[in-house]
Formats: sequence, structure tokens, C-alpha cells
Amino acid sequence: MLNSPAMFVVLALIAYGIAYFVYGRWYDRTVWQPDANRTTPAHMYTDGVEYFPVSRYVLWGYQYKSVAALGPILGPFVALQFGWVPALLWIIFGNFFIGWLQDYGSIMLSVRNQGRSFGPITYEFTGAAGRSTLLGFILFYLLIISATFIQLIAVFWNTFAGSFVATVGIILTGVICGQLLYKRRMNVGAVTLLAFVLMILSFWLGSTEVGRAVRLNLGAQGALNFNVWVWAALCCAILYVASILPLPTFIQPFNYVSFFPAMFAVLVILLGALITPITGVTLAQPGWKGFWGPAGSFAAGGNPMWPVLFTAIACGAISGWHSLVSSSSTAKQLDVEPDAHPVGAGAMLGEGLLALVSLASYMVLSPERIAELGGASVGAWVYGATLLTEPILGLFMSDAAIQVFYGTVLVIYAITVQALVTRFWRLVSVEVFGEGILAQKHVSTFVGLLLPWIMAVSGSWNNIWLFFGGSNQLLAGLALMLITIHLARVKAPTRYTLLPALFMIVTTLAAIAVQTIRFLQAALGGPAKTLTQDPLKTMAPTVANLIDWASVLIGVALFVLGLRMAVLTLQAYSRAKAGMLAQPQAAPGD
Amino acid sequence: MFGRKGPAGADTGGPQQKGGFLTKLRGVLYGMASHGNVTAALRTRMHLEHLFMFITLGDMLGIPVLPPYYSLRILPYAVPNIESWKQRVFRERDFTDAIY
Repeated sequence: MLNSPAMFVVLALIAYGIAYFVYGRWYDRTVWQPDANRTTPAHMYTDGVEYFPVSRYVLWGYQYKSVAALGPILGPFVALQFGWVPALLWIIFGNFFIGWLQDYGSIMLSVRNQGRSFGPITYEFTGAAGRSTLLGFILFYLLIISATFIQLIAVFWNTFAGSFVATVGIILTGVICGQLLYKRRMNVGAVTLLAFVLMILSFWLGSTEVGRAVRLNLGAQGALNFNVWVWAALCCAILYVASILPLPTFIQPFNYVSFFPAMFAVLVILLGALITPITGVTLAQPGWKGFWGPAGSFAAGGNPMWPVLFTAIACGAISGWHSLVSSSSTAKQLDVEPDAHPVGAGAMLGEGLLALVSLASYMVLSPERIAELGGASVGAWVYGATLLTEPILGLFMSDAAIQVFYGTVLVIYAITVQALVTRFWRLVSVEVFGEGILAQKHVSTFVGLLLPWIMAVSGSWNNIWLFFGGSNQLLAGLALMLITIHLARVKAPTRYTLLPALFMIVTTLAAIAVQTIRFLQAALGGPAKTLTQDPLKTMAPTVANLIDWASVLIGVALFVLGLRMAVLTLQAYSRAKAGMLAQPQAAPGD
Repeated sequence: MFGRKGPAGADTGGPQQKGGFLTKLRGVLYGMASHGNVTAALRTRMHLEHLFMFITLGDMLGIPVLPPYYSLRILPYAVPNIESWKQRVFRERDFTDAIY
């Protein structure tokens, strides 16, 4: 029992229970003091479209699905370079003291500010400079998310033969179901049933010899690997179509049908982890690998545990994306203020659980086994999940079919979010570039995919991942600062969010700086030191060097914009503490 | 035209939250699988209706549209929705509102 993943999954469940029922309720009473009788924006501005009250159960499901993506699945793998103990502690304590506070606080902040999202709130607290800086930061943030996810999708398709066929099958299922739902107006239940059948067929087709034969052999993994280039280009083409077509034609129905296998995978892995004392699957990873990881020092290529661990595991412990989702839509549909706790805190702690089961999937694979996987180590989750759930799924599926299933699930988690990110890039482009050509629908989408594709084909996914984690967590720190400013304005206790905010801002800026220095070393060192992988490294060293320099520039931009945002929010906090940023009061006689 | 209660599947708050386990489970599943899609569809419809209302009744918002014959014909049907239409059109919106 002590040597099985079930032990720490149970421990984490207990810790999250304490976070929710004890610390959470105490914090609620002490700080926000939600009032069921206070009118929420959902009632105040009811229009049946954006603002309307929704059951807390519906909203919990919506919030969870909106925030759960690839972050909690792959982050623990990157953090495994320090051993599983630090990763486990960060997932538990990061979520306990910081993660859920941010999600819950973001909802309450928006609810207490007429349901406004973070753009207007930032404008009110920090002025036009703050909002412009946030806009610029989000632009780079979206670029980094896109580069990371596009590359990972390409690697998954390349690694797990059959997953591309299954993904295409599920996309077609989504498109067909969309047509049946919106054009033919068929019953949702019947369409869902048809979707199940078509998806099972897709997975089956992917696991057959025919499906597995659909693969590229343009170069061996690691040497002259053109495969990932082509897969990434295919991925961009799909994302382009998804972004250009109306939502009900592609993204909506695709997200709907892909929800079922994605959730099934999480539940079955959780079950597999909990029954490990029966199935006999044990921990195979060392708990501690050192502050600098296996490399031993920075000079030898190792990353320092602080700050890298705290940015490697993003969404499972804390994530800035959640604050955008919370204030963008969830807060507008909150029925009563006390619902914010189960919705915000509950969904975040639920995502922590997703990170834990992902960590469990890595922990049951020995370092030797992961080394055997070589360049495919990013897909170790699939092999670990297969090991954990083989006693359950093996009753009716072969190991190869299980791997196709999990490989496709990884792609689904990435592509559903990435399709929305690509669309969001378009909207931000309009905001940034105004009437210019770069704001044009097709041009902005093309640019929004071309730039990430160039970064993706550099092959340096784990370095890009740390940029992604850094910017994502920094956004979370900034969200916590906005929450703190509001609390200071209304003279509520601020230390419970101020300290996490400062910790996250300092840590993430340091992480971005570390990664930027890493890219700078590579850029200055020329082809011998480049972080860009083959084939560019060998065939076009100048291009590889240029990509290193581009990464340096992106790192500097993220750092400067993040620092400026941090300074602006800290200044606003000082003003709020001094009573100079008080809430507008009604004029006498009103 | 829009009602003011939200989509049917959303199980608006209040007494319905006290349903049994299956009701709650259904709510969670609906929230995960469909709620985002439903609200996105509603938003699309909202934007199309805004266009229609602008063309026909834009003068009510100060837009210089000459009220044509058809505007007067549809006025009785549009009256119940004019208030919420004005509210939506005049609402402050930001790029961060458009994530989901």
C-alpha cells in the first residue's frame, strides 16, 4: 500500500478535503463573506445570453471542463526531473494555499464588480497603461500556448501510430453531429448515441493495422525528423479551418463529442490509481533527484528547482488561464454568492486531482523505461496510464488499442483548447492591430499559426513549455494582485492573497529570466549550443540560431511586460491601502 | 427573441438546486458537455438579432435610421425585447469577455 500510487492519491484527497471544507470555509467567512441575499450580476443584468443564473452543478461542470486541459497532464512530467516528491508537494500545497484562492477570488472579484471581466477591472485599477500592458502580455502568452500545444499534438501523432486516424474520426464525428443538431434539428440524445458509435469506430479504426499504418517516415526520431514538421503543419491546417468556420460548425460539436472520451480517461485512470494495492502496480520513480535535477548544475544544463518546478506544473496547482475563464463567463452566471466556493474552489481542486492522477501515471514508470522511450518520453503518460488501467480496460481492449485511446485523448485535450486559443488570438489581434491588415480574419489566423509552427519545429518543446508555464503562472500572480487590490479597497484582509501573489510574481519572473538566459546562451553559442533540434540544427544552423534569438526576444518581452504589470498592480495596491482607490460612492440624495 | 431566463438546459438557480442526486449529476454533465456550446449559440443569435434590431429600430439608440414601414409593422413584437436589447448593446465589452 505504501509503495502504490493509491497511497498519495488518498492523502491528496484528504488534503484537498481540508482545503475545501476547513481552510476554504474559514477563508470565506473571514475575507469575502459571501451573502446569499446580495444580488449577483446574473440577476442584476439578466439577458438570457451572457447574464443569467445557472445551477451551481452546471456551473461546476462548465468551469471544470473549461479549465482542464493539457497543463495538469504534462506539467508533472516536466517536474519529474526533480523527483516525484517535490512535484507531489507542489500539486498539494500549491493548490491548497494559492490555486483555489485565485479561481474563487477571480469569480468573486468579477461578481462584486458588476460581472466585468479582467480587462475592464485592470483598466479601473491600473489605468490605460495597465490594460495595454495586459493586452501585450496576453498576445505573447497566446503565442506561447499555441507553439507548445501545436508541437505536442504533432509529437503525439508521430509517436502513437493510429492516434491521427482516431483524431480525424472524432473531428468528423463532431462535424456530422453538429450538422445533425443544428441543421437537421435532431434530438440531442439520439445524436449523442450516434456520436458514441462513431467515436468507438474511430478508436477501433485507429487501433487496426490500417489505422496504425497511417504514419510518416520522413526521418528517424531525433535525427532528421521532418515528421513533426508535417504533423504540425497538418495540425495548423485543422486549427485554421476550426478558427475560420462558425463555432456551431466545427469547434462546438467537436468539443461536445470529445468531452466523453476525455472524461472517461480521467475517471478510469483515477480508478486505476486507487486500485493499485489490488493490481500490484507500484512506484518506480525516485522521490528526489536533486535541486538541479539529474544534470547536477546550471552549467551542465540542469534547471533549478526554484523557480522551475513552480512553473513546470501549471494548471494542476495554479493557472492564470482560470482567472480569465472565471471572470469572462462563470461570474456572469453565478446564481448566489455562496455558489462561488463550490464552483471556483471545487473545480480547481478537481483539476488538482487530474494533475495527481497524471503524476501517478508517470510514477509507475521506471526511469529506465522512460529512457527507453527516448524522444517519445513526452508520451510517457500514455504508457503509465496503460499500465495503471490495463487490469480494467484490458478486459475488452488490447494494449495497443489502449495506447491509441490515451494518445488520442492527449491530442483531444490539446486540440480542443488550442482551437479556442486560435480564435481568441484573432480577437486580440483585432484589439491590438485595429484596422490594419494583421487584424484581418484570415491574415491574423495565418500569422497566429505560422509563428507557433516556427517555434514548434524548433523541437525544443520542454524549453517552450517553461515559457508557457512562466507566463501562465505570472498571469495567475497578476490576477491574485487584482483580487488583493479589490480586497484592500473594501478594507478586507489582504495577506492571504497578497503573499501568494508576490510569491507567484517573483517566482515566475525568475523562471522566465532563467529560461531566457538559457536561450541567450544558446543564441550566443552558435550551432554547437543551440536549443533548436534536428533537422534545423544540422541542415540550417543559421535558421536554428535565429530561432534561438527569437526565443530570447519572446522571453524578454514576457519578462518586461510581466514586470511592468507587476509594478502597476503593486502601485495600485499601495493606493488602495492608502484609501486613494476607494470604490465609487453614490452621490448624496441618489 | 430572447427570453430573460437563460437556456432551458441550464437549470437556473433557486429551488431547482435542491434536486436529487441524479438531477445534480445531470447538471454537472450538462455543464461539462454542453453549457459552453449553448451559451455560444445564444451569443451568435444575439449578434444576429442585434444586426436586425439596428437596421429596423436603430433610431431608438440614436442611430439615424429612418423608420421604414416594416419597422412599424414589427414594433409590437419587438417592444418586449427593446429594454434588454438596449441593455446588451450599451454594455461595456472587452476582449477578455470573449474567451469562452
